[in-house]
Amino acid sequence: MTDTDKTALVQVAGFPLALDRMYEGRTHMWVARVGTGDPSIARIGLDSVGVETNGTLAQLSLPEVGEQLTVGRPFGQLEAAKFVGPLVSPVSGTVVARNEAAAADPGLTERDPYGDGWLIEVALTDFGAWLDGLTGEPDEIVAWFEAEISDYRMKGVIAQ
Amino acid sequence: MSRPILPGGRWRLIADDGVGAAEGLALDEALMARYARGNPEQPPTLRLYTYRSHCALVGRYQNLEAEVDLAACERTGTEVSRRPTGGGAIVMGAGQLGVAVVSRARAGQTPREGIAEFAGSVAAGLAQLGIEAVFRGKHDLEADGRKIAGLGLYVDTDGGMLFHASVLADLDIGFMLEVLRIPAAKLADKAAGAVAQRVTTVAEQTGRPFDGAALRPAIAAGFAGCFGATMAPGCADPAERALADRLAVERYSSQAWLADRSMSADGSGSAAVKTPAGLARIYITTHGDLVKNAIIVGDFNVLPRAVVEMESALRWRRLDESAVLAAVRASGADSALGVPASLISSAVLEAGRQAGERATAEPVRAVGSCYFPEPARSQA
Repeated sequence: MTDTDKTALVQVAGFPLALDRMYEGRTHMWVARVGTGDPSIARIGLDSVGVETNGTLAQLSLPEVGEQLTVGRPFGQLEAAKFVGPLVSPVSGTVVARNEAAAADPGLTERDPYGDGWLIEVALTDFGAWLDGLTGEPDEIVAWFEAEISDYRMKGVIAQ
Repeated sequence: MSRPILPGGRWRLIADDGVGAAEGLALDEALMARYARGNPEQPPTLRLYTYRSHCALVGRYQNLEAEVDLAACERTGTEVSRRPTGGGAIVMGAGQLGVAVVSRARAGQTPREGIAEFAGSVAAGLAQLGIEAVFRGKHDLEADGRKIAGLGLYVDTDGGMLFHASVLADLDIGFMLEVLRIPAAKLADKAAGAVAQRVTTVAEQTGRPFDGAALRPAIAAGFAGCFGATMAPGCADPAERALADRLAVERYSSQAWLADRSMSADGSGSAAVKTPAGLARIYITTHGDLVKNAIIVGDFNVLPRAVVEMESALRWRRLDESAVLAAVRASGADSALGVPASLISSAVLEAGRQAGERATAEPVRAVGSCYFPEPARSQA
């Protein structure tokens, strides 16, 4: 699954959502397995609501290939309209690729968050453990996503 | 009503004046350490401080040399550093109040929520002085349709959170134009006027002289009221002091930190728009394909509100035809200027193309500030 399978994209309350991958709910990061090799490689990115709630992305600082990531710890930094903050890793492992195109043009991540706007690829430390804490069932993903959007709209964080 | 982003209770209030550029920023970051994940919960800290006159501070990913005239800083004894927060270049001194709110970032909190709530507290403080200030979407705090405070938010790798605001008690526009990177010789008369039409101060709004320190009680009261907190005067503890001393040297004065910059190139360009009332010119500065700033200069007796709305709507928007056209239409600037929206939009995109070409040709020579982009080369 190196490219977004367009058929797996659904619209939820006005936001696109890819159902062919897993999500870390608090950080709005997605994780998708790439191929079936060993060690397992996961591609990581921001979902469309994660992008929207940060504001226009001005800068993405991504880690170098070879860097070690720990689940729940920052792996990079983003700058949006008035905000500078960490990108938090949903998995543990070693960075094997960074999306130079997104680093050079963060607009790519806004336009195609699930496809060409991916951030990094990681060789997972422990394939079994990486599922912990992630949401992967399509029904659950949609329900979580709907609830997030509704909450953000109520708080006025994203437009109605 | 969702719960406030920070707890009430007894906040620590730190007040200091005349701090240096590196020292001021270093203490803000040092104050974040106690809020790292894994440490016991601590009440938030509100620091209300002024910088030594003057300090020029650029945003986290700005290109220093593109934003600040380093020779002018040297000449005027202006210190220079880089903030950890985003946003544009600013000049700080006795006339501006620095606001720092430091706490732990709440899980699930979005940047927009945080900035909006803190902006509301600064506005509540200004309301104590009789000033009606509003937070305009993703932008700054405005009074009377003009910028009165700049805002920024930073969350560090340990989960500490820092909100920054710079509140304009007063502003020496001429000095600002001297040290921020604007080749002012060409447009000096118009530049000052254009800034004055877009920026206001507490002194101007109240008709009374004010400096940054004099705003402290009102701003503290604004935060106390919004968060249901009481403010307990305090100071940095010895560990925070020691960390700040180290950060001032190792980070905020270091060449590596000052020279750090974005991968995206900054550029600037301009294009003319013919209106029934005469020629107007739109100046924009860009960061990659993003509009950092847009300004329309013309022979306006009164700057139309819709023009300022459009400038604001264009900020942080990508140079995409439909996005730009939508921003122009939504602002009503087309009616205000008496020209079709498509004409304004084309001028914006033309200025953007020019900026993109210059950015590629001269990646670090772009000019402009958060207040005023580039002078009119053709009008020089």
